[in-house]
Amino acid sequence: MAQDWKSFEPLLIPDIPNLEKIDVYEENGGYDALKEILNDQETWSRKSVVEEVKQANIRGRGGAGFNAGLKWSFMPDPDGGPRYLACNGDESEPGTFKDRKIFEYNPHLFIEGALIASYAMTVDTIYVYIRGEYLSWVEMLQDAVDDAYEKGYLGDDILGTDVSIDMELTYGAGAYICGEETAMLESLEGKRGYPRTKPPFPAQNGLWGRPTTINNIETLANVPLVINNGADWYGDIGAEEHPGPVLYGISGHVNRPGVYEYPTGVPVMDLINDVAGGIRGGKDLKAIIPGGSSTPPLRADQLDGVTMNSDSLKDVGSMMGTAGMVVMDEDTDMVEVLWRIAHFYSHESCGQCTPCRDGTGWLEKVLKKIKDGEGEMKDLDLLLDIGNQMEGRTICALADAAVWPVRHTINRFRDEFEERCKKSVHAVA
Amino acid sequence: MPEVFIDGKRYEYDEEKDEMLLQFIMDQGLEVPFFCYHPSMSIPANCRQCMVKVGTPVKDRETGEFELDEDGERKIRWFPKFQTSCSTRLQDGMVVLTQESSEEVARAQKDNLEFILINHPLDCPICDQAGECPLQIQTYKYGPEGSRFEVKKVHKPKHVDLGPRVTLDAERCINCTRCVRFTEEISETHQLTIVDRGDSNYPTTGPGETFDDPYSLNTVDICPVGALTSTDFRFKARVWEMNQTPSIDITNGKGCNVDLWTRDNEVLRITPRQNEEVNDYWMPDVGRTAYERFNENRVDRPSIKLDGDNQSNTSWNNAIETFAEILEAHDSSDITIIGSPHASVEENYVFNKFFNLLGTSNAKFTPHIIPGSGDGFLITDDQAPNTNGCRVINLDETDNDTIKATVSGAKVVIILSDDLIGREVLSSSDLNDSYTISFATNNTDTTKASDLVIPITCVAEHTASYVNVDGRIQRSYPAKETKYTNRRLNLEMSEGRLDRFGTNFDNWVSEENKVDCLPVWDFLNKLGDRLGLDFEYNHSREIFSELSDSLDILNDVSYERMDNEKGVQLPIKQEEVKA
Repeated sequence: MAQDWKSFEPLLIPDIPNLEKIDVYEENGGYDALKEILNDQETWSRKSVVEEVKQANIRGRGGAGFNAGLKWSFMPDPDGGPRYLACNGDESEPGTFKDRKIFEYNPHLFIEGALIASYAMTVDTIYVYIRGEYLSWVEMLQDAVDDAYEKGYLGDDILGTDVSIDMELTYGAGAYICGEETAMLESLEGKRGYPRTKPPFPAQNGLWGRPTTINNIETLANVPLVINNGADWYGDIGAEEHPGPVLYGISGHVNRPGVYEYPTGVPVMDLINDVAGGIRGGKDLKAIIPGGSSTPPLRADQLDGVTMNSDSLKDVGSMMGTAGMVVMDEDTDMVEVLWRIAHFYSHESCGQCTPCRDGTGWLEKVLKKIKDGEGEMKDLDLLLDIGNQMEGRTICALADAAVWPVRHTINRFRDEFEERCKKSVHAVA
Repeated sequence: MPEVFIDGKRYEYDEEKDEMLLQFIMDQGLEVPFFCYHPSMSIPANCRQCMVKVGTPVKDRETGEFELDEDGERKIRWFPKFQTSCSTRLQDGMVVLTQESSEEVARAQKDNLEFILINHPLDCPICDQAGECPLQIQTYKYGPEGSRFEVKKVHKPKHVDLGPRVTLDAERCINCTRCVRFTEEISETHQLTIVDRGDSNYPTTGPGETFDDPYSLNTVDICPVGALTSTDFRFKARVWEMNQTPSIDITNGKGCNVDLWTRDNEVLRITPRQNEEVNDYWMPDVGRTAYERFNENRVDRPSIKLDGDNQSNTSWNNAIETFAEILEAHDSSDITIIGSPHASVEENYVFNKFFNLLGTSNAKFTPHIIPGSGDGFLITDDQAPNTNGCRVINLDETDNDTIKATVSGAKVVIILSDDLIGREVLSSSDLNDSYTISFATNNTDTTKASDLVIPITCVAEHTASYVNVDGRIQRSYPAKETKYTNRRLNLEMSEGRLDRFGTNFDNWVSEENKVDCLPVWDFLNKLGDRLGLDFEYNHSREIFSELSDSLDILNDVSYERMDNEKGVQLPIKQEEVKA
């Protein structure tokens, strides 16, 4: 539970040397979950695996926080044709850098999780889509996949059963939008990464028009834990409505930035002060962005008693996102921060939908104007207005993700923005 | 019948048509603004302009009955977000609010147009698309009054030659991806793609690729802004200065439905006219360049060979007199008449009938087919627009060799509008021993070798019907005037904006753009008078109704039916007619 987080022993990336080696992984109970399921398919029917994972309530770690088992249950019944699992390792959201730790330190846990998911959904091919900047991590995962093939965990007739599953790695070319699930499918198909309109949903019409489920890497790494220890055990870890271990990526003005594994529901201030060693230079905290750049920022005075779980963060007007927390000290210029975030979304908008394509660019330009001291008071309301005109009117959620930080940063740090606008050379008395 | 309610009005729809909301709205004659949607291509829903508010009635789970509110009206569950009507499937009981009845929707559409316009150069005064620009039209109707955009617009490449026929202005592009989808889904050359991201993206070819798609100019038609323009047509005329006349593509056997755009009696461009039975919304690029032959290199005034090989212009009176004297001086068995798959049904018919009255044998014709030159889409092996028309009126179909043999034995050869030398059926020496008379629209190798050339109207100047390779009969309208006022023909001419709203002095009238030629039937009227024949037609309508009365296959076909039904499918197939 939340209060005993300090005694928590890491599960996703335990402190075992050379765990990325398949022998070491096996010695430490690796692939036991897969063996148990495949060797006892009567107890572990495909349906019951889905049921167990659904009951464990693994909330998707890619940001949306959707129950993974429930997502699996949306797959239609097999019709003999191909079905796919697409694993999303494109993590490109500023502040998010957790999946690469799994590739580096415990790749087999992810592979095992993906295999269990594939068994549960009768999937025969797994695609892993990794951001192109992670080329070294692609190689690390590829080594692990090769080992798994050699040991018979992947490929035809896995462990002597009639289950055959392949895993294929592929990597992106630097587009944030390819982390959006349907854009990722387009990219996997070799097309330009444009998000698709929904419906039809990927479970009905995914890769090459076939049923496809998309899961985050970290989400799948949680699956073997559930099978090994049961849904109830898993549900007792961390926050009630958002259970399980989480890889917190802490960056910004802290003494020890990095990826830390703790249960959900750790108090935000504990993460900053105890886990990450406090604010650099002994300064005061000004704000945090709790879960990647698209989640609304929170002022230091909003953080009393707030814990890292979706409900607690929702209460104060933000989101858990990917748990990639950006910490900002008292010297941070929020106008600069917001402009940088807006610049990111403007640069990364795929350009498909009008409101996002032109809106993100407009937001950035107005923010640049304010940042450069040329802003006017009316620009602040214009920014909020542009945001309202963008939100909820596009195919995917990138426009929403671009709007939220703008809206909430301006609202929560309005003084700072107004101050900057007053200094403007255009300001009227 | 399932029903939908649009702006409070009830409409029934056909479930089997599986229509999207936007298409259904348009089919009812209503309007919702849009840019990216095209009925013949996939639906990307990317312009977001056709947003409407949509709700579905709440049904009681147990009884399956509609739940009612306290006023006895159906309870409606509104979708939390606006829906793009292009990608929304109709559902029974669906309630739709468009910009007509919902402030909210009107505002959302206005917001979207504001976004589209911020990076658009707004250079309508120098843009070719102005006047027929969906962005311009819809901005006037639904757009914001001013602009709140006070920062710098995005700059992108301008006047880029994507290929030999299409020029790109990337700044005007609104990224609807219609052009990209066209090359992917319709022409299947995959030559265009979108490059870059966000507000700096635009369509272009792959590196080192040239946009030489044989259908490339269709992208200019479907571009909802002036981003893609025709390299040939650009900066030639404003659309509101031109008259638009429906016609038929005569460059091959498909008979694509087209519009001829004229100003001052010159055809300036040709664009496709929608006909789902023939060409849908498309036409090949070659058909569009045909406009040049309507303006240039025309046979203007009759020509006659007086001394050796030199032709010189002559008067109509002299041409008629010479023609009559030649006919009178020869026995009808010495006269060979050759009809033409390049001429219309009416022309071939009166041509054949006239000389038959003088006792000649039936007109022969040879199809103009180049095997392998077609593409199975809109370009056919058949190079002529009316091969089937010649068959329908029972001209004698022969091959090239028979034509050559017949010509070499004749003392007088009369050729209707067919460049037999140019397409290598005959060589010019074949005509050395005979007196050759050509009816022709354009100067060709055949007219050069002829002793007498009678200038006739082309497809842009007369009313006539053509039967395409699939046996569909379709007709043309006069788009440009000849030297002679023909009230019957002029009545069918289209009116442009300047004709309708301008004074007599607003429109251009250059006499030199009018060609000195006559419809074939009109010339034959005059020749018939001179020869004392009972031969008189006042309009192609009369010719066609005579045909319709005398030929079973054309019994229930009329110009009216062709007009109302965009052509009439005759009960023939190319193969059947051949046999």
